[in-house]
Amino acid sequence: MKWFLFYPELYTFAGGMVFLSLSLLKQANPRRDYFAAMILAALGVLVCLISVNQEGSLFFKTYQVDLFSQVFKVMLSLGLFLIICICSELKAIAERHHPEFYLLLFVSTLAMMMLVSGAHILTIYMALELSSYSLYVLVALRKGERVGLEAGLKYFLVGILVSAVMIFGVALLYSATQVTYMTDMMRVLPGALDSPMVVIGLLLTLCGFFFKLAVFPFHFWAPDVYQGAANQATAYIATASKVAAIAILIRMIAVTGDGSTYLAHVLVILSIVSMTVGNLAAIVQKDLKRLLAFSTVAHAGYVLIGILGMSTLGYSSVIFYAMALLVMKFTAFLVVVKVADDGSNLQMSQLAGLHRRSPLLAMALMVSVFSLAGIPPTIGFTGKFLVFAAAMEKGYFTLVLIAMINVVISLYYYLLILKAAYLEEPAEELPPLSLSPQIKILAGLLVCVMVAAGIFPRYLLDLASAAAAVLN
Amino acid sequence: MEYANFPYLTTILLSCIVGLLVILCIPEERKTQIKWVSAVFSGITLILSVYLFMAYDKAQGGLQFVEKLPWVESLGITYFNAADGFNLPMLLLTGIVFFTGVLTMWELENRVKEFYAFYYLMVLAVFGIFMSMDLFFIFIWYDVSLFPMYLLIAIWGTTRKEYGAMKLTLYLLAGSALVLPAIIYLFVGSGLNTFDITILMKPGTFTPDQQKFAFILFYIGFGILAGVWPFHTWSPVGHVAAPHGVSMVHAGVLMKIGGFAILRVGIFLCPEGWQHWAQLMAVLAAIGIVYGAFVGLSQKDLKYVIGYSSVSHMGIVGLGLSTVSVDGLNGAVFQMFAHGVMTALFFSAVGYIYDRTHTKVIAELGGLSRIMPVASTYFIVAAMASMGIPCLASFWGELMVFIAAFKIYPVRGALAVCALVVSALFMLRVVQRTFYGPKNEKFAHLTDVTFGLGIPRMILLATLLLFGLFPALMFDMIATASIPFFNGLP
Repeated sequence: MKWFLFYPELYTFAGGMVFLSLSLLKQANPRRDYFAAMILAALGVLVCLISVNQEGSLFFKTYQVDLFSQVFKVMLSLGLFLIICICSELKAIAERHHPEFYLLLFVSTLAMMMLVSGAHILTIYMALELSSYSLYVLVALRKGERVGLEAGLKYFLVGILVSAVMIFGVALLYSATQVTYMTDMMRVLPGALDSPMVVIGLLLTLCGFFFKLAVFPFHFWAPDVYQGAANQATAYIATASKVAAIAILIRMIAVTGDGSTYLAHVLVILSIVSMTVGNLAAIVQKDLKRLLAFSTVAHAGYVLIGILGMSTLGYSSVIFYAMALLVMKFTAFLVVVKVADDGSNLQMSQLAGLHRRSPLLAMALMVSVFSLAGIPPTIGFTGKFLVFAAAMEKGYFTLVLIAMINVVISLYYYLLILKAAYLEEPAEELPPLSLSPQIKILAGLLVCVMVAAGIFPRYLLDLASAAAAVLN
Repeated sequence: MEYANFPYLTTILLSCIVGLLVILCIPEERKTQIKWVSAVFSGITLILSVYLFMAYDKAQGGLQFVEKLPWVESLGITYFNAADGFNLPMLLLTGIVFFTGVLTMWELENRVKEFYAFYYLMVLAVFGIFMSMDLFFIFIWYDVSLFPMYLLIAIWGTTRKEYGAMKLTLYLLAGSALVLPAIIYLFVGSGLNTFDITILMKPGTFTPDQQKFAFILFYIGFGILAGVWPFHTWSPVGHVAAPHGVSMVHAGVLMKIGGFAILRVGIFLCPEGWQHWAQLMAVLAAIGIVYGAFVGLSQKDLKYVIGYSSVSHMGIVGLGLSTVSVDGLNGAVFQMFAHGVMTALFFSAVGYIYDRTHTKVIAELGGLSRIMPVASTYFIVAAMASMGIPCLASFWGELMVFIAAFKIYPVRGALAVCALVVSALFMLRVVQRTFYGPKNEKFAHLTDVTFGLGIPRMILLATLLLFGLFPALMFDMIATASIPFFNGLP
């Protein structure tokens, strides 16, 4: 066995075990847990970075380690680290549950790392379930409020339903083609896509990933779960979990080769409906987390635009988009977590006066919102541009036009957020927000990254292209 | 092409960026210091743009002061700035309006730092659009120039500011929603993997059908920004809501981006599409001219009057472009420049009056010429320019466009000239009611504009006069670009 290929996963697993043992201690000590998690996660990023160039396969070739998976592992570990950075005041989780909270974060990240490396349909399914179950519990951990439990239950019920559908799809796929390895699928599937059973099997299998990515019609859980979970847990679901979902979706679609027109048409429709439903529903939201949930649905639609071209260019654009989503969504949630410092849900009206309470956070919010809306020169614009260019290459002009109209619709509610932060004055004078130096540096860095990667996308772009190149 | 010895164009952008950063570093309380810094850096851009205008070698023509740097090679994006006879007038205009806009806002007291920061960001992008020869960068600058506008209007604006800001931003972004697919369409369609306009504009790059399709998207997309009827409705609302300095940049420069981008992107890349759609352009432009004039006639708010006269005047630009002739192009570009300076003077003058009287309603004013004669003069000169009085710059632009239009579209040309009479009528009415007639005693105690505060208006007035008396300065410049371009058409 070449264990060094498995270092990132092993490390994350060990990190989880640390918190398992911490959770056994009688004395609750949130500061200790926080710092332990922070250091472990920071080292985790390093471990992933070191092993970024590894290649090979493990466990009887059910586990594929290549540049594609390693790039996503870096993103996932970075996502975990960023989330832990904003956990310094974890007021929405009972203190004695803090170790469990971190444990679940680590386990879920571990599962997602395995997901992006999965080369066998059962590995993928197992990893998907492991990450989902950790998230169900994570959502339900919210302290004192029934809403957390309710959200967890809703998430769970929809999740197991979808996973039943998915496993049915896997069974269909197997009965039609008798393959379970991705490498075999890559060989067999492109020729078998005319058969209805294969297409239906594939689509049902994809449902599992659509659920993760919150693509219409599997998005119903998103607003309630986003609202019900603790802010940090929501941030994790909105960033790391989406990145993993994008990765596995790309891998799954890539095995179909050039794809079938039928599959592409289904994806086109899902993409259009996701964008439109997400953006229209977001307009009327008053709760910022609900709004971001619907914007996630819309972003899932944009992601599909890149994937459905089924070209290497499209995959690389989506990988870039995943990086963009990670940074810009996280920045938005950083502001949510810091403004709602008592751990409650953040209403739009509570943003009032933010430009005076904390100019830095207001600026971070502005840049992230413009990035989400796809306004240059931010990373979000570059991502959208690449995705649209890839779709246009395949001749989807109308789709791109519809997507652009959606961008304009989405701009309306993004501007409402800005308006709340920059224009409205709070009913009663609120004190300035006190931020720790680390958070200030983090917020400043995120702003710089979003703008710099928008202006100089070259290196990230090359990385994304290289990662996409190994798929074929 | 002649590469630049010294990157003047980039220096203009850099002085905006450095100015922006310096402003961000000054504490909010030091308002005067912020204003001085803003004035100095905008002054640098003005000096540079004047220098470029004078240093351009007209005998040689073509692209000069070229700066080229590969940006993203895998996508064929180049940082490519250059100056020619089309964009130099626009750069000069931006320099003038930027500097005078900063001075016009001298009396601002509320959130000064943020105001100038956003203002700089917006103007940076405007400069970027005018000097860039790369399609990708043009689009980036285009979008960047739009979004500071929302906050500038919504925070510092006046009448129905939030509504105006939202409407403006969504309209203009809707325009970019048409432009981006068109850009990608051409990029993918050319198969050359480049956004370089000088390469893409070579004849034969695009089939006539591609050109027709892309041109109409560009025309509508950029046309929204240029205030083309029927997509103009954001413009009067936005102008009225915006603070004066922003109205100046907005009506003076930002609307010109629309016209300029139709020329630089639409007409350069899709000349056959241009010829195909010219009839439609002429119809829309003529309707815009007539409609703007008549709606302006019934306005009660000074800024609305200017807003609708802008729609009418931008219609003249559109009419010039639609003639598909050298004269039309010359006239359109000249008109863009002249109208930019004229509107800036208008808004600057109204700004002074509004800051004192706190009203823009024509009926509430009256007899102002006796209370503040100098301030009134600025407005009246701008109104005269708007009517197309000879000796002021706008006369030449309009004349040129109408000569060209009469040759090709006699009916629409005649209609447009008739509309000019109407617009003269409403301007005279406004001038008469606002500045003459019985004096409103309520405002009798107000002081006239001081020398210091008058500087921006004087600069604008001097520019109008200079190019009104010596139009050849401008026409020779534009002709260095328009004649070769027209001769190069298939």
